[in-house]
Amino acid sequence: MTNSYLDGLSALAPEVCLTVTALAVLVLDLVQQGRDSRRVGWLSLAGLAVTAWLLWGQWGQQSQVVFGMVVVDQFANFFKLFTVLSLAVVVVFVMNDRRERKDGIGEYYFLLLGAAIGAFFMVGTNNLLLMVLALELLSLSSYSLAGFHKNERRSAEASMKYVIFGGLSTGIMVYGVSLLYGLTGTIDLARMGTSDGTGAVVGLVGQLGTSPVPVAIAIVMVLAGFAYKVSIAPFHFWTPDVYEGAPTPVTTFLAVGSKAAGFGALLRFLGALFLRDGVQQVVADYGDRIGLLLGILAAVTMTIGNLAALRQTSLKRMLAYSSIAHAGYVLIGLACMTPAGFSAAMYYLAAYYFMNLGAFGFLLYFEGVTGKSTIDSLKGMGPRAPLISVAMVAFLISLTGLPPTVGFYGKYLLFLEGWRSGFAWLLVIAGANTVLSLFYYFRVAKALFLSDASEREVRPQPWFVGFVTALSVCTILLGIYTTPLQEWARRSLDLLASL
Amino acid sequence: MEANILSWIVFVPLIGTALILLLPKSAINAVKGVSVIATAIPLVLATWMYFGLFEMGTAKYQFVENVPWIKALGANYFIGIDGLSLALVWLTALLLFIGVIASFGIEKAGKAYYALLLLLEVGISGVFVSLDFFLFYVFWEVMLLPMYFLIGIWGGPRREYAAIKFFLYTLAGSMLMLVALVALRLDGNTFSIPRLVELAAAGSLTGANLPLHGHLLGMQFTTWIFWFLFIGFAIKVPVFPFHTWLPDAHVQAPTPISVILAGILLKLGGYGMLRACFPLVPTAFNQFAFALAVLGVISIVYGAFVALGQTDFKRMVAYSSVSHMGYVLLGMAALTYWGTSGAVLQMFNHGTSSAALFLIVGVIYDRAHHRDLNGFGGLAQVQKRYWALTTLGFFAALGLPGLAGFVSEAMTLVGAYGASDTRFQTMVLISTLGIVFTAAFLLWAMQRIFLGNLNEKYKSLPDINARETFCQAPLLFLCVALGIAPWFLLDYMEPSVRNLVDLLAAAH
Repeated sequence: MTNSYLDGLSALAPEVCLTVTALAVLVLDLVQQGRDSRRVGWLSLAGLAVTAWLLWGQWGQQSQVVFGMVVVDQFANFFKLFTVLSLAVVVVFVMNDRRERKDGIGEYYFLLLGAAIGAFFMVGTNNLLLMVLALELLSLSSYSLAGFHKNERRSAEASMKYVIFGGLSTGIMVYGVSLLYGLTGTIDLARMGTSDGTGAVVGLVGQLGTSPVPVAIAIVMVLAGFAYKVSIAPFHFWTPDVYEGAPTPVTTFLAVGSKAAGFGALLRFLGALFLRDGVQQVVADYGDRIGLLLGILAAVTMTIGNLAALRQTSLKRMLAYSSIAHAGYVLIGLACMTPAGFSAAMYYLAAYYFMNLGAFGFLLYFEGVTGKSTIDSLKGMGPRAPLISVAMVAFLISLTGLPPTVGFYGKYLLFLEGWRSGFAWLLVIAGANTVLSLFYYFRVAKALFLSDASEREVRPQPWFVGFVTALSVCTILLGIYTTPLQEWARRSLDLLASL
Repeated sequence: MEANILSWIVFVPLIGTALILLLPKSAINAVKGVSVIATAIPLVLATWMYFGLFEMGTAKYQFVENVPWIKALGANYFIGIDGLSLALVWLTALLLFIGVIASFGIEKAGKAYYALLLLLEVGISGVFVSLDFFLFYVFWEVMLLPMYFLIGIWGGPRREYAAIKFFLYTLAGSMLMLVALVALRLDGNTFSIPRLVELAAAGSLTGANLPLHGHLLGMQFTTWIFWFLFIGFAIKVPVFPFHTWLPDAHVQAPTPISVILAGILLKLGGYGMLRACFPLVPTAFNQFAFALAVLGVISIVYGAFVALGQTDFKRMVAYSSVSHMGYVLLGMAALTYWGTSGAVLQMFNHGTSSAALFLIVGVIYDRAHHRDLNGFGGLAQVQKRYWALTTLGFFAALGLPGLAGFVSEAMTLVGAYGASDTRFQTMVLISTLGIVFTAAFLLWAMQRIFLGNLNEKYKSLPDINARETFCQAPLLFLCVALGIAPWFLLDYMEPSVRNLVDLLAAAH
């Protein structure tokens, strides 16, 4: 390794591209003074496309830059691509949001791109300090985005709650990081997990024998920060209010992009500490105990999310609680503490991408039609807008986890790995939760198709409807055409090997 | 074509669905035509397979197709039938065909209705032919969604409630099934049901390969798997106490859907137990066989008793299904050749007789627009042909000697009486109460509808029409024919049933 930080900076090309796009968006908005907000959207999409292309070119690369603080590996690449692709969908949503205010659209896109940059660094580092900073960048952008409708009380309230909750959680996390640093002598996750317990860097192995309680406190505190980001109970309280108050495209980003990035960082944290080659047995055993903790959190999270979702009358709020429940499902994979379990969790996130983006697209469309986001307002709309409604049914099946959809395979893989790691009890709870979730998901289908037909006119948005339908086709197709699934199963373990 | 006849039977309706979706909304007659053809082809193929191609006297799987499907999961497109599934595959094809014809009277029905109906057929016949547990599960779930919409959109006043209740109950069962399925996959390292059965018979499917080392919360691994699978299937049968979705679903569903629901969907539960529950965990089955018999007897007596108290014609028939399916469970639990083959025969016979009964209910409901048993009276005077057909259907259902129901019920009872566990004899004695109740509610219903003074309101009620008779005819014919010549089914299934019974008994 050389001493200049410019070395290997080309590995950061995607991040640079995103930053340049963000700045260009601001300039373009300034120049044209809000005349054609769509143009800004197209520019963002172009920037994202280039970023995705650059990421694609990096596939398989493995390097560390900026004194090893930033890691470029396949694992990071997966989550970066995930972020870019979900952001691209969000940008499409923004461009088709009929309720969007037109002034300040430049800032809107700028903040979204800023959040993505935060997500990029969050998943692409083994350095806890940088991870916290990146998480803050993502959070700060999200706070402003949540409150973007500043004249709406709910939006402002959402933003405020988000700030307070986020501030508290990151505070706890930073404290945990400082404890970990004090205990182990390093903030580099890789060394923390694999150090041999001697010298300046004592690592986890050096502390587990002598002071297990401080280590436990420190790790739990760090986990709290992640738990807040991906809305795991008991750090989920902000989620429904923020999701409901924020503009729908922002909610979409929080529920998909931001959540996936949070999971990416959490997976890296756990993987680097406990699953890395060269981890001592005592550390790996400790990881299994953390896995049990995560398993309990998974059960609690999915149950709370689903029970609360049962009672919602607003589709948006229901999707918020459903996203909490899905975080619980993903946690099953994490609780396994095996590479295969992590791989299943990542597959589930990929499945979640299609079905949840689709569901939010549907929500956005009907908010444009009815001006409301209640489930009641959807009554009898199925025959009025058949294509997007049938697409929604596909998303609902997938969210419930029924075949033949991508969501089913995601759930199946989680169940498989759960059994393999001895979490049979958790799977029964997850199964019960699936049944619960069917009840509220199908309230939407019921409103759409089972109620008497509505007289309301639907304004056509053919491109957008086509877009959402395409997502539903993916949801179904990935459930039937399973080659991508097979490829995933084959490759994902390499992906994790680079952790 | 002969080699992959099963695939044709399963997927021809799917082609029909696709065609229907391509047709314009206004071309309702074309939609009906496509539906008739898409259900007639599987019926013809299944008949050909039954009488022409199926090789009797062997327990091995026939018309097997086995191609890799999802390699990463180890799931194969592995289908085939034996004596257990042959008759049920044929029954599926028949009842769906009848279901389509019976649907012509539904005014609201359009493209979507027929498309869903055909999709339902894909799911049902798929389950009956699957020999890969994963494939089995996928088909099992595929049939839920069409059913939900068929009840929920085209059903009666409380259709929304009934539809979601049906969906939730079945899903609860299939989630348990999924948990068990995954465990079996991990333990046996295969999804192939025949292979899993072999492993189980060799005593090596006990969860030893799982981190729990065969035990979970103080219970054997196999015990868990058994109950997970059993409850999953029992909900579908439905066995008391998992039956409460059934009356609601039946009462709210439109007539053709009730026919399919009672005729075939319930059989999936019983078939599932024989194919994918008992032989996979034979020791646990032996251990709990008596408990199953008790549940079966409760279903028989309770179902019939509750049917006695119903004033809604359709609800009464629905509860009679609970009672009749109880025989299936009792017969299977006995673990004798007579009991098990009686159970399979009973499934088939209940498929024809209950389907006929629901059609009968549909006929009167279409004319009188209500189903209150006390609101009719003396209809025998105006609807002579309808009365005759109903009488036949009722007698078939109450097990009159000479008709099909008698043979199968007698076989299950005799089989259960001969079980090695002598407690079964008490169970058989108790279950005869069910026979009394069944006769009581059917005859009483007949008296209230057809006999007595003619209700003036219905003086000019039209008799059963040609289309309705056409739907009834094959079902009632089968009720008579199989009462006289039950060997038409029994001979085909014998080797498979014997094989299964020996296998289960060996694990005792």
